[in-house]
Amino acid sequence: MTLLAILLMAAVTYTTRIIGYAGLRNRDLSPRALAVMEAAPGCVLISVIAPRFVSNDPADLIALAVTVSAAIRLPMLPTVLIGAGTAALGRHLLG
Amino acid sequence: MNTDVKTRGHARNTEFRRGLRAALPITLGVAPAGLVLGAQAAQKGLTILEVPLMTGLNFAGGSEFAAIGLWTSPPHILLIAAVTFLVNSRHILMGAALAPLIQHLPRRIAFPALFLMCDESWAMALTDTEQRGAAGMRPGFSLPYYLGISVVFYVTWVIFTTLGGASGPVLGDLRTYGLDMAFPAIFLVLLRGLWKSARGSLPWMISLMAAGLTYKLVPGAWYVVAGALAGLSAAYVLAGKPQ
Repeated sequence: MTLLAILLMAAVTYTTRIIGYAGLRNRDLSPRALAVMEAAPGCVLISVIAPRFVSNDPADLIALAVTVSAAIRLPMLPTVLIGAGTAALGRHLLG
Repeated sequence: MNTDVKTRGHARNTEFRRGLRAALPITLGVAPAGLVLGAQAAQKGLTILEVPLMTGLNFAGGSEFAAIGLWTSPPHILLIAAVTFLVNSRHILMGAALAPLIQHLPRRIAFPALFLMCDESWAMALTDTEQRGAAGMRPGFSLPYYLGISVVFYVTWVIFTTLGGASGPVLGDLRTYGLDMAFPAIFLVLLRGLWKSARGSLPWMISLMAAGLTYKLVPGAWYVVAGALAGLSAAYVLAGKPQ
């Protein structure tokens, strides 16, 4: 059963990866459709991390605010380190 | 002719290595998440072989976390498949956004390449395509760069989920070290790279509010779908209005 569940997960996931491409390949898109496509990446990314923004934990919210301001100015690695560092520190002091 | 082929092969290698380098810092977020997932999977009864089988064949962390959260023995197969589809439905939009950029690739390359499409590789390849396009490079999409990123993520994910599965019970709470903050940090830097204008990013804010609200009110992974749909609807409406 475990094997079946894993194989079904794999099939479902691969399907989600190819249908957007297979269904929209070689089609002319309207400017409006292009605007929607252009907004899509940011909309999906921010939706995935949205639960962090509505956390009840003050330490997590402070760390998130620091991470946002780091992400505006700094490259990937320092931003990740600052985010993890402030989260650990905040939980240590407030938790 | 011969030199031309060599030069192109050299360019491909350079592009592949550029992808590897770009992906390395992000493994700092991927590796601890993999350890956590593997440890949780082991606690739910998955064997040391089943963990890499799941993470290697599926290669979509969000859905794997959701599935392991719902895992019972024996697993509810249809429930897990439905949740997997829900969490990964964003891939449909991602693939659609990528379609015009990879139109020049033959299908026998595009279909296997799409197996490796994940949030990070997709966002990084998209940002890179825009930058290369703006610099006048055609095609803007660099397949070896995308594959370089993908290889780093894939190998890191499978290795660290396996390690997590093996050392699960020994491992403490990774939240103590704040490592769970790596994910939002990565996503926020990616968003900065996609930022064009305040107006262009208005749909993102709508997505954030809709997803946050849905997360608070509706159990499960619906918040991803609700947030994405709200933002895309906003983009659709805004595109119809004069600038």
